[in-house]
Amino acid sequence: MVKNSMLGSEEKYGNTLKVLVVLSIKRGVDKMNVIEVKNLTKTYGKARGISDVSFNVEQGEVFGFIGPNGAGKSTTIRTLLSLIHPTSGSATIFGKDIIKDSPAIKKDIGYLPSEVFYYENMRVKDLLKYSASFYKKDCGKRMKELAKIMELDLNRKIDDLSLGNKKKVGIVQGLLHEPKLIILDEPTSGLDPLMQHKFFELLEEENKKGATILFSSHILSEVQRLCDRVAIIKEGKIIKLEKISTLKENNYKKIHIETTTEIGKDYFAIEGVTDLVVDRHKVDFLFKGDINTVMKKIATTPIVNIGVEEPDLEEIFMHFYEKEEAYEQ
Amino acid sequence: MNIFKREMRANRKSLIIWCIGVLFIVGSGMAKFAALSNTGDSINKLMADMPSSLQALMGIGSLDLATVDGYFGLLYLYLVIMASIHAAMLGATIISKEERDKTAEFLFVKPISRTTVITAKLGASIVIVIVFNLVTLLCSIIFVDYFNKGDSVTSEVVLLMGGMFMMQLLFLFLSTAVAAFVKKPKFSIPITTGILLVTFIMSVGIDLKSNLDGLKYVTPFKYYEAKNLLHDGRFDGKFVVLSFLLMAASILTTYVFYRKRDLHI
Repeated sequence: MVKNSMLGSEEKYGNTLKVLVVLSIKRGVDKMNVIEVKNLTKTYGKARGISDVSFNVEQGEVFGFIGPNGAGKSTTIRTLLSLIHPTSGSATIFGKDIIKDSPAIKKDIGYLPSEVFYYENMRVKDLLKYSASFYKKDCGKRMKELAKIMELDLNRKIDDLSLGNKKKVGIVQGLLHEPKLIILDEPTSGLDPLMQHKFFELLEEENKKGATILFSSHILSEVQRLCDRVAIIKEGKIIKLEKISTLKENNYKKIHIETTTEIGKDYFAIEGVTDLVVDRHKVDFLFKGDINTVMKKIATTPIVNIGVEEPDLEEIFMHFYEKEEAYEQ
Repeated sequence: MNIFKREMRANRKSLIIWCIGVLFIVGSGMAKFAALSNTGDSINKLMADMPSSLQALMGIGSLDLATVDGYFGLLYLYLVIMASIHAAMLGATIISKEERDKTAEFLFVKPISRTTVITAKLGASIVIVIVFNLVTLLCSIIFVDYFNKGDSVTSEVVLLMGGMFMMQLLFLFLSTAVAAFVKKPKFSIPITTGILLVTFIMSVGIDLKSNLDGLKYVTPFKYYEAKNLLHDGRFDGKFVVLSFLLMAASILTTYVFYRKRDLHI
């Protein structure tokens, strides 16, 4: 609410203005939110949609948006881009309303949709020039640079390109005006691993230059690599919002032990142990808590082999999802 | 301006094909007049012997087919139907195609408002419709003049083409309004062509049954009929006013609904 009134501060006078100026100076110290989503709801009849989605994306961060297919990732993104209009709730980008100020906001947004479609009978060059013509700046140089990085032939007809190459056109098209906010909706589908790598490097570079990135995906490993924070969305609702580091550092260790003799099923059933699987000589479990307690426990039994791993996000995520489901039931 | 240019380029090929079609219809139609005119008044007798429903369907009415302007008046109906179909399909497509071809995610994330997009698209389609009309006018003047043995009827041809232009604009804006209004883009063409067919059949029905006369305000095919234009030598004022009202309402609908629209991707 405070921020909304600040936006209209120009018309206000006197004391109010002073207070607001002080507030804005104070706010400048904090990181500014590039995207602010408040209770955003979109319903299509009764079937799909999102309900009560709220999150903020800070300036300069890479924000991951994770969830299975049909969870509402694209719906959220399309609402932010005002391709569709929210049923209720609101959102701002760069402090401006997504519906009222949509054209102004979009000057600084680069968007890569999950599936790219272009006009018939156009060369890559023509399409990119057409795209650039909407932005009031010279994008020619950046266009050539990006095409070189992504190994894209500018003279080919788009209709003849493979899915992966079309995606490259989408990448160049989305980045050629050097946007301050990059929105990616499942960007890696169709790209080979090498290109994916180059694309991620490109994104990291843009991020270093100051671009904020909203990255939606159902593949956790790519989010793990790039993102600072993630929102996990399921059936249209945000179920968790967490720093990647916290999510990983939740002190979960994945432990695998092979013992010389068969041990009791409950031997490792101590506090902090989950997903315990005992198969005669082999024991697997996830551990969270003081690592010393489990080490002492291990030390008292003769072992042949031990492996301690950081679980990847996928495992934490699945663990989390399953728990959520169990809780719901 | 970039969207305008893009639309002109995208529609260039189909416009050329339509223009060739017009050239063919006017050319072959007027060539038949050459044969008919040699038979003298017998063609009018032959037509009068036909059942009245068939006469109405062919749009003969009170036209004197032995004269070049009367005969062109008959041809005019077919040209109007063609031009109306062209305009209706153009209007429906130009609005719906961004969603149909899934290019909406390209165009509408650009820093432009939907109003700007609609204005550019309407501008482009008006220019296309004007080109269609001018080509038809030119073909008509040339061919009518070529087969005409009596006084020049160029002013009548120009008047009729003016009527056709009004019809084109009417169906163009009606169809953009439908395209902006319907939820699913694939329905915009079937609905607009449906409207076209129903209003045409209605105009035939009005010719057959005089008690349906009140319906003539409902169907644009009654607004600029050859027999009236040739008889009066000018447009009927109330139909012109009605046309402009319909166009204004359609344009307004197009803007209002397209701005609020959830793009179907």
